[in-house]
Amino acid sequence: MIRHTSRTPRLRRLGPLAGAGVATLLLTSCASGSSGSSAETQEFEDFDAVLEAAEGQTVDLWMYGGDEQGNAYVDEHLAPAAEELGVTLRRVPVTDTADALNRVLDERQAGREDGSVDLVWVNGPTFSTGQQAEAWRCGWTEMLPNMALTHPQDPLLTDDFGTPVDGCESPWHKAQFTYFYNSETVEEPPSTLPELLDWAGENPGRFTYPGPPDFTGSVFLREVMISQAGGAEEIPLQYSEENFEEFAPAAIQTLEELAPSLWREGSTYPRDEQALNELFTDGEVDYGMTYGPARLTELLDSGALPESTRVLPLEEGTVGNASFLAIPVNAADTAGAMAVANLALSPEQQALKANPDVWGQFTVLDLTRLDSADQTQFEELPSSPVVPSYEELSENAHSELDFDWVPALDEAWRESVGRG
Amino acid sequence: MSLSRSEVSRRRRPRWRVRTVLPLLLGLALLIWIMLPLVPVLLWSAAGAWRAPDVLPSSWTADAALSLAEPEVLMAGVRSLGLGLSVAVTATVLGGLAAFGLRGPTPGGSPASTRLIGFVMLTPLAVPPFALVMGSNVLLLGARAPSFLGVLIVLTVTALPYTTYMFVTALASYEDRFEAVARTLGASPAQVVLKVRLGLLMPAIARAGFLAFLVGWSDYITTVLIGGGQFITLPLLLGSAASSTGGEQLTAALSLAMIVPPVVLLILLARRGARGRTSS
Amino acid sequence: MLTAAPAVILVLLVLGAALIMVGLQSLGLMPVFGEPQLSLNAWADSTSLLESAGVSVYIATLSTVLSAGLGLLIAVYALTAGRGGRLVAAVSAATIPIPHLVASGAIGLLLADAGFLARLFGMPEGFPQLVATQWWTAVILEFAWKESAFVALVILGSISRSAMALSETASTLGASAWQRFCHVILPLARLPLVVSGLVVFVYTLGSYESPWLLGPLAPEPLSVRAVRLFGSTQLSARPEAMATALTSVVIAVLAIAVGLLLVRRSGDRS
Repeated sequence: MIRHTSRTPRLRRLGPLAGAGVATLLLTSCASGSSGSSAETQEFEDFDAVLEAAEGQTVDLWMYGGDEQGNAYVDEHLAPAAEELGVTLRRVPVTDTADALNRVLDERQAGREDGSVDLVWVNGPTFSTGQQAEAWRCGWTEMLPNMALTHPQDPLLTDDFGTPVDGCESPWHKAQFTYFYNSETVEEPPSTLPELLDWAGENPGRFTYPGPPDFTGSVFLREVMISQAGGAEEIPLQYSEENFEEFAPAAIQTLEELAPSLWREGSTYPRDEQALNELFTDGEVDYGMTYGPARLTELLDSGALPESTRVLPLEEGTVGNASFLAIPVNAADTAGAMAVANLALSPEQQALKANPDVWGQFTVLDLTRLDSADQTQFEELPSSPVVPSYEELSENAHSELDFDWVPALDEAWRESVGRG
Repeated sequence: MSLSRSEVSRRRRPRWRVRTVLPLLLGLALLIWIMLPLVPVLLWSAAGAWRAPDVLPSSWTADAALSLAEPEVLMAGVRSLGLGLSVAVTATVLGGLAAFGLRGPTPGGSPASTRLIGFVMLTPLAVPPFALVMGSNVLLLGARAPSFLGVLIVLTVTALPYTTYMFVTALASYEDRFEAVARTLGASPAQVVLKVRLGLLMPAIARAGFLAFLVGWSDYITTVLIGGGQFITLPLLLGSAASSTGGEQLTAALSLAMIVPPVVLLILLARRGARGRTSS
Repeated sequence: MLTAAPAVILVLLVLGAALIMVGLQSLGLMPVFGEPQLSLNAWADSTSLLESAGVSVYIATLSTVLSAGLGLLIAVYALTAGRGGRLVAAVSAATIPIPHLVASGAIGLLLADAGFLARLFGMPEGFPQLVATQWWTAVILEFAWKESAFVALVILGSISRSAMALSETASTLGASAWQRFCHVILPLARLPLVVSGLVVFVYTLGSYESPWLLGPLAPEPLSVRAVRLFGSTQLSARPEAMATALTSVVIAVLAIAVGLLLVRRSGDRS
């Protein structure tokens, strides 16, 4: 098409534009071939060198933007603290963390080494995919002085959905999958997941869950599979087709049989956790679920969830994980990003963030490794009227299955239960 | 249509009833159809708490409206405005030129090639914004186009079919005689273009520019993917508010913030249009 | 013809390059990671692709028919009902600036099971389910709401002057309202109606926000499938996303070709 246009001399003026088109075509076709070799551009002697290089940098932190408390924490606490290090922290809100990874992948496909994503709040599937694509910078977290305050063998911090962390992301906070119910309509709440499913069967239309591949719905699906298998220890963490064939069908069948008793007779499912919360608030269903129990305090406070909302502890425990900050290999402001990641791990910031009035996110630090002044900061935190302490919530907790389980189960659900 | 038919069948009845009541009812039904979806948005923007089955919010607050005055939101508004206006200018100029090119039998142009160009100008409609962005993103990144320019280029292409066909339909009923008359009255070619042509096409220019403005003003997916999240416009704020539990109030307030400025612009354009018509 | 060159070149350049990229990615020739390898895997799941295409065409067809009918009604009312007509035209035009994202949210607040409309009627037992139904009711209504205003705007913009004048002439010659509609307004409106209907069809075919927010989880239209696969955390899903997007493009191009034939015909007739 470009040769076409050069026929008429009048169009010369547009030459540069056409030229740019050709150039980019060539550029990208070359770039796509070379994207495998990631440039380990900047290496640092020690953390002081990092801090020195960080000064004056602007760090773009890409994170899920739908959590107002989280946004406020970053804007009002983390960013000012970063400013003291000479680093400007800019929060880039996204609706889905995968958007950030896609941006990184696109930039690398285009051969850009001065990427616009410096830091991503990430875990699980997005981290694993990024690892597969060699999109994350690795081996940098041991340089962070504050990493010494975490427990080196903490399983939540060494593996992320079965993917070894390998210093490719720095821990930020812990989370526990949590169910909640409406105490006004549910008089005798169930105390195990099978009892919850029985309750759903006996109370038609009053229970549902977000449809996988939504993040929360996907967790629920795995929890049902683990429960059907008789507990987390029964299922090998590692994914294989044999393992899948052994454990997945029971879960799918249970949910298929349950479907007619669900909201809308299981003909459709809420799109995501937020859609489920809307049904819950409107009194259409009696249960909700979330991987971010920290937010419940604020959601009840603001009236977004009814006051009669109560956390539902399950005897067999629920799944827990940690979320992290990762740096893309092509980040333009790597040093600044490392400085912020270290700052986010500091006892001051971790304690501040754990305050339910600020954000209420559970710390990743091992409190026994802190000095007594820092320990007091954590001891003096106010407790939430709704959310139990992390120790209580994470009782009998199990860890996430391998990441490969996630898409396989989601797809099986979509092909059967999801078709309504 | 069925209403008009019943109008015919009832013609024997006293005319005033059919003439006044039916159009009134029809008008009312149309107004309800047009306005109803906006009612819950308006209510939510000022609602404190509002749970089913309450018909109206149980408490009211101006918090959400006040949060629109925050610098973050205002800056996003300025960026949206800038993007909308830029798309409006480029897409209107290019679309207008394209429509003129499509119109006349020009030397060397066959009807077939005119038709082909007409088809080409419609093709951006066939490419969903998502596909367009996914395909062009890598190219724009590779070309190191600044993100604003990248968004502008893609949105201009998206808006071009609308502007072009606004002009094509306007030109279809355009009377060349006015220009001929102006020429016989001694107007220079420049005067013909500036006074007669632009004057007569003013409504089409306004409409095309407005539609193109909306493409830039309301875009989400292009801005987020090509802008790389650093070019934060109102739809981006809206998207993140809409994806949070209990964000109804802010979402509704941002929705209104997105609706009001273009409506004001529309009213201004309509006023100017009306004035132009009466003075001519 | 020459004045069209800048626009045509821009469109060809951007669209052409984008579509080549999409095509290459759908064939596995531009993987986000790893070695390029020609593969038709992304196109292999043709049942699911066809199903999605069916859903998309269903939504687009019904939305177009409703929008065209309602848009024509609004336009005719605006032209014939004096001051009331001008009010309806103005209010209708005022909804044009509302983005589909906002409109979908608004329709959701209105039509959900416990939405404003249900609350207005006191939440009756038999209130119809409109959001997330297998008939895509709320999705189609959202499109009809937004796009009927667009159709009306296009019709009014292109014919209001001539229709007013001719209508007045016909009226003085003793034509009834129905005759004026049939013999004056409709023939004039045919071209803008076909053009705007075509625009609505291809727009709704590729639109994402409304079916995503207001539709059921499965089956999915092409747009929702493409975006879901693109955002998927599996690298292998990207070619499939691109194949889905291309399918949507092909259907829309066919629709435009058919539409242009119609435009030519209605142009010849008038």
